[in-house]
Amino acid sequence: MNFLNYIIRRLLLLIVVLIGVTVVIFILMALFSPAQRASAFITDIKQFGDIDSIIRTYGLDKPVYIQYFNWLKQIFQGNFGWSTTVSRPVIDAFKFFFPNTLELALFSAPIIILVGIWIGSLSAVHRDKPVDHFTRVLAIVGWSLPTFWFGLILLMIFYGYFQGLFPPEALGYKAHTFVNSAEFVRYTRINSIDALLNGELWIFVDAIRHLVLPVITLTVVQIALVMRIMRSSMLEAMGKGYVLTARAKGAAWKTVIKKHARRNALIPVVTVSGWLFALMMAGVVITETIFNRKGLGWWWARAATQLDIPSVLMAVLFNGILFVVTNLIVDILYAYIDPRVRLG
Amino acid sequence: MKKKIFITVLCFMFLFSMFSFLYAGKGAEPPPEPPEKPPVIKKVEPPAKKIKNPDTIISAGYGTIQSLDPHRAYDTASGEIVMNMYDALVEFEGPSTEKVIPMLAEKVPSEKNGLIRDGGRTYIFTIRKGIKFHNGAEVTPEDVEYSFERGMVTDQDGGPMWMIFEPLLGVGGSRDKDGNITVDFKDIDNAVEVDGQNVVFHLKDPYPPFLAILTQRWSAVVNKEYMIANGAWDGTEANWKKYNNPAPGTETLYNKAMGTGPYKLDRWEPGVQVSLTRFDGYFRGPADVKNVVVKKVEEWTTRKLMFTAGDIDIVYVDSMHWPEMENLEGVKIYKDLPTLANAAVFYNFDINPEGNRAVWSGNLDGEGIPADFFQDINIRKAFAHCIDHDTYIKDAFLGYAATPAHPIVEGLPYRDPNVPIRKYDLGKAKEYFMKAWGGEVWEKGFKLTIMYNTGNEKREIACQMIEENVESLNPKFQIDIQNVDWGIYLNNMVQKKCPLFVIGWVADYPDPHNFVYPYQHSEGTFAEWQSYHNPEVDSLIEDGIRTVDPAKRKDIYYKLAGLYYEDIPGFQISQALDRIHVRDWLSGYYWNPVRDDQMYFYMYKKGY
Amino acid sequence: MFFLKKRRIVLSFEEHPRLKEVKFSLSKIIKNPLSIAGMSIIFLYLMIALLAPTIAPPKYEHEPFRIPHEGYSIIPEPPAPGHPFGTTTKQYDIFYGVIWGTRTAFRIGFMVVGSILVIGVVVGSISGYFGGIVDEVLMRIVDIFMSLPTLILAMAIVTALGRSLDNIMKSLIVVGWPIYARTIRGSILSIREEDFVEAAKALGANDFTVIFKHILPNAIYPVLILASLDIGAMVLTAAALSFLGLGAQEGYADWGQMVSLARNFIVGPPDQPLMYWYVVTIPGLFILFFVLGWNLLGDAFRDIFDPKLRRK
Repeated sequence: MNFLNYIIRRLLLLIVVLIGVTVVIFILMALFSPAQRASAFITDIKQFGDIDSIIRTYGLDKPVYIQYFNWLKQIFQGNFGWSTTVSRPVIDAFKFFFPNTLELALFSAPIIILVGIWIGSLSAVHRDKPVDHFTRVLAIVGWSLPTFWFGLILLMIFYGYFQGLFPPEALGYKAHTFVNSAEFVRYTRINSIDALLNGELWIFVDAIRHLVLPVITLTVVQIALVMRIMRSSMLEAMGKGYVLTARAKGAAWKTVIKKHARRNALIPVVTVSGWLFALMMAGVVITETIFNRKGLGWWWARAATQLDIPSVLMAVLFNGILFVVTNLIVDILYAYIDPRVRLG
Repeated sequence: MKKKIFITVLCFMFLFSMFSFLYAGKGAEPPPEPPEKPPVIKKVEPPAKKIKNPDTIISAGYGTIQSLDPHRAYDTASGEIVMNMYDALVEFEGPSTEKVIPMLAEKVPSEKNGLIRDGGRTYIFTIRKGIKFHNGAEVTPEDVEYSFERGMVTDQDGGPMWMIFEPLLGVGGSRDKDGNITVDFKDIDNAVEVDGQNVVFHLKDPYPPFLAILTQRWSAVVNKEYMIANGAWDGTEANWKKYNNPAPGTETLYNKAMGTGPYKLDRWEPGVQVSLTRFDGYFRGPADVKNVVVKKVEEWTTRKLMFTAGDIDIVYVDSMHWPEMENLEGVKIYKDLPTLANAAVFYNFDINPEGNRAVWSGNLDGEGIPADFFQDINIRKAFAHCIDHDTYIKDAFLGYAATPAHPIVEGLPYRDPNVPIRKYDLGKAKEYFMKAWGGEVWEKGFKLTIMYNTGNEKREIACQMIEENVESLNPKFQIDIQNVDWGIYLNNMVQKKCPLFVIGWVADYPDPHNFVYPYQHSEGTFAEWQSYHNPEVDSLIEDGIRTVDPAKRKDIYYKLAGLYYEDIPGFQISQALDRIHVRDWLSGYYWNPVRDDQMYFYMYKKGY
Repeated sequence: MFFLKKRRIVLSFEEHPRLKEVKFSLSKIIKNPLSIAGMSIIFLYLMIALLAPTIAPPKYEHEPFRIPHEGYSIIPEPPAPGHPFGTTTKQYDIFYGVIWGTRTAFRIGFMVVGSILVIGVVVGSISGYFGGIVDEVLMRIVDIFMSLPTLILAMAIVTALGRSLDNIMKSLIVVGWPIYARTIRGSILSIREEDFVEAAKALGANDFTVIFKHILPNAIYPVLILASLDIGAMVLTAAALSFLGLGAQEGYADWGQMVSLARNFIVGPPDQPLMYWYVVTIPGLFILFFVLGWNLLGDAFRDIFDPKLRRK
C-alpha cells in the first residue's frame, strides 16, 4: 500500500511540475513583444503588413495570464496550437517527429549504457594504470568533440568517400516511397521496427544503414557521462567493507569485482540511464540537423529560435512528463536492485 | 561472466553492422516495382552512365513550406510546389519576362485583338476547351471566375491576394488594420464575370502589369466543384465573410491540391519533403519525369554531400559556396542568371526614440544621434560615399552581382541606365560629414547602432563596411553592429527604430511599379518604415501605374530614378546574379527571372 | 549523482585536521600523472589568457575581443605569415581569435559555474538544513527547473533576450543551478544530524553560523567536484548554442563562435575534402584541451577529496 501511495504522490508531483514548467515558459513569453511573436508566422518581408491581424487572431497582445488560461483551455480541448516552424498543428507534428527520435534513442541508449558500463568498470578496476588513463582521456576527447564536426566528418567518410555506405536521412528514396505506400503497414511509425513487423528485411537493413552514423555520433559524445559515473561508483563499491572482506577471505579479485562490486556500482548508473533520454535531447538536436533525420530535436530547436511558442510548450510538457516518469521508474528500479532502499 | 556478456554484445553489434555493410554492397534490393506504363515519349537509347533514380527528380533546399493553397502561398518555398500543380490563364514564354503566351486561355488579350478594352479596364479571356483537372473534370469559365473570387473572398493573412485586389478593386486587401471587412461582396462578384466561354475581368483603373500578375501562381485556376465539396466558400454571397481570413491550416487547399498542372500532390511531410507525381492527362502532354521530390536539407555540408553522391538532382547553393561547386564531375551549372531582386541601405528620416537603444543618448552630443539625424542630406550623402561597392560585390557576392543605381533593376522595362552611382570616396564622405548639421557632427561625433538579421552574411558585410569606413574618418564616430533575429529585425524596422537598415526586394511581377512603390512611395513597405515622404514622387508613382502609354510611362519612371538619386532616401548595394546547380543527367532547364530559383519541373528530362 | 556518506571529522588534533587533509591531498595530486597533466593544461591556458595582449596585440584598443580581419571574403585562407593559424570565413584571424577566446572561455566557465554554485549552495543549504515545508517547496521548484529541457530552454532564453554571450551565460545559469542545489541538499541531509552539528547548535550558534561554519565545509566537496567538471562542460554547451546560431556577436573572440563560423567549411570541395581543416580544427583543439584539462582536474579532485574513493 505504501507503494501505491508513493505512485499517487509522484503523479501529483507530475501535475505540479507540468503547471510549473508551463508557467515558467509563459513568464518567459512576456519578454517578447506581441509583434515579435507574430513574426513567427511570417517568412517574407512582403507578408509583414498582416502582423496586426495575426496578433489579433491569436490574442498575442492580451496579458500573459489570460493567454495562459486560454492555452490551458485549448489543451483540455485537445488543441495544442499551431506550429509555424513546420506548418502543422503541434499535436500532428509531434506524432510525426516522435518516432524518428525514439528510434534514434532506442538504438543508441543501449550502446551508450552497455559500453559506458564496460569502459567505466574497466577503468575503475585498473585505476591509475595506463588502461584507466587511456579510457578516461578517450572518453573526454569524445565528449568534447564538437558534435557537428564529428558528424560531418563521419558523413564525409562513410557517405562521401565510401559512396553511400551509410547515408544521411532516415530512409533511402526507394525505401521511403515504399514505406509510405499502401503495401506497408505503419504499426509503430518506427521504420526499423515496422520493417520487421511487415517482414520487409530490405527496409530494415536500409533503416539500419541510415542509423549507423547518428548512433555512432551520439554514442561517442554521450558515453563519457555513463563511463565516468560507472567508474566512480565502481571505485566506491570496491572500497566497501564487504568487498574487502570478500577479498580477505581469499576470493579471486575478479570474482569479487563481478559478484560484489559491479552489482552495487550499477545503482547510480541506473539513475543516469533513466536520464539518458532527456540528456540525449541536446545531442539529438545537432545529430538530427547534420544527418537530416527530422525529429523532435530538429523541430524544437527551430521552434525555440523562431519563437514558435506552441511548439516550445509542447517540448516543455513532454520533457516534464519524461522527467517525472523516468524518475519514478528509476526509483522503483532502485528498490528492486537495492533492497535497503525503501520507497516513500 | 559479465564481461563476457559485454564483449558478446559488442561483437554482436559489430557483426550486425558488418552485415548491413555487406548488404549495402548489394544495394538493398527494392521489391519488384509494380509495372508502370512507359511515358509517351521515351528515349530508347540505353543510358551510357548509371543514373540514380531514373524516374525521379529530387531537389534539395531549405525554407518552410507554409501552405499549398495557391491563394495563400506567397513565400518562395510554398510557391515552388504550387507552381507545379496549377496553371494560370497565361504564362511567360520560356525565359522571357515580356512575351506572354496562352495557357488555359485561348488567346493572350491585347488592344490589338480587341480583348483588352475600355483603355485597359477590361480584359477578356476565352477559356480553352478540353483541359482537365487532376480529377478528370474539365476546366470551365466558372472555375476561372470562382478561382479569382475565392482568392479575394479568402484573402488570408500573409497571402498574395493584394496583387489581385489592387487592379480589380483598387484596394490593398479585404480588411482594414483592425480586421474589419471593408470591401463589398458585389465588387468582388462584379470584378470577374463569365460570358459564355469567356471570362471578363473589370479593372478599376488601367493597370499595365495586370497580365504579368495573371501569369503567376496566385492566379492559379482551381476546381470549383472540388473546392466546394471540400468545404471551401460556395460561391454565393451568403456567409462569404465567414470564409474570409481562415486560420493557418484551415484553408481548403492547405494540404490538398486540385489543379490542372503537370504534377499531382502525393504527400507533404512537414519539414521533410513534398512528393509529386506526374499528371498523365496534362494538356500540354505529360511531363518527362514521373516523380518529383522537393526535400528540405538545412545543413549545407549534408546537402552538398547528397548532391555529389547523386542522391539529389538539384541543389540550392548559397552564393558563398559557388566556387567549390565548380569543376565537379557530373554537375551542370547554369551561370550568370539575372535576378529581379535588389538590396539597399535605407536611412530613417524620423527615428522612433522610444526605448530605442540604437540611437544611444538620442541627442547630437557625441554619444548618440537625434531622431532627425538623417534629414540632413549631407549625412545621407556622406554615408553613401562610405561603401566600397567594388569590394562589397567582390567579397559578399564573389563578384556575381552588379551595383544598381536606383530601385528599378536591370531586366525591367522603363529603366533609366544613365543614373549615376555615388562612388566610394572617403574624401567626399569627410567633406559631407564636416558640412552636416552645421559642422556639429564632425565636431562632436555620434554614436548609433546598425542591426542586421542573423545569418544574412551579405547584409552583415554591408553593415561592417559602413561601420569600418565611417569610423575611420573620425575617432568620434562610433557605430555598433548588432545581429538580431529576423523577427526582432522586422519589428525594429516596422517600429522605425533602426537608424539605418539593409534589406532587399524580390519582384512579384516584372514591372517597375513593383519596385518603385515599396522603395519610394510614402505608403510603400520600405519608404513607410523610413518615414520618407516626397509628394512629387508619390504622385508620379500613382500616375505611373494608371498610364497605359509606354512612352509616358517611360518618362515617369526615368524621373523617379532621377529623384531617387537626388533625394537619397537610401542607396542600392546589389542586384545579384544567380546560379542553378543540377546533375548533368538533367536537361531542358531554362531560367526565367520571374520564377527565380523556384523549379518548374515540367521542363526537365532525366537521362544522358 | 554524487553520493556522499557521512564524513567523520575528528576533533582536537595538534595540526588542524583540514590542513592535514590538504597536505595529504596535494601529495596525492602530485603522484597522479593525469592530475598533473590537467593542472598543467589549465595553467597553460591561464598563462595564455593573462598574456593575451602580449601574444596577440589587439587592433581595436577599446574592443580587444573584436577579432581583426582584412577584407570580407567568405572563403577561409590557409595559414600564412601574419596569420599563423590562417583566417576563417570573412577573413577573421584564427590565431587572434583563439588567444583572446581563452579569456572568453574562462569568463564563461567561471561566471556560469560561480553563479550556479552560489545559487545552488544557498538554495540547497536552506532546503537541507531547515527541511520540512521549506524543503518541500524549494525541491518542487528544483524539480520544475530540472524538468525543463535544458538546451531548448537555453535557446528560448537567448532568443528572447537577444543573441550575446552574456545572455548565453544567463541562460546556462537558469538551467544549471538545480542539480547543484540538489547535490548540496543531499550531502547536508547526511551531515545535519552529526554530533558536531548538534554540538554547535547546543552551544547556541545561530543557523547562519551552523550552516556556513560547520555544515558547508563538510558538505561542499561533491559540488566542488561537480563545478570543476562543469567549467569545461559550460564552454562546450556554449559552443553548441553557438552552433545553433545563438552565439556571441560575429567577430567576437569566442571558440564556440569560431567553430560554428566554420560549419560550412568542415568538408571542402570533393577533390580536397579537408582543404579548410584549420578553420575548425584549431579552435576545436583549444576547446578540447580546455575541457580535457578541467576534467582531469575534476577527476583528480574527486579521487582525492571524495572520502569514499580516497585511500585505496
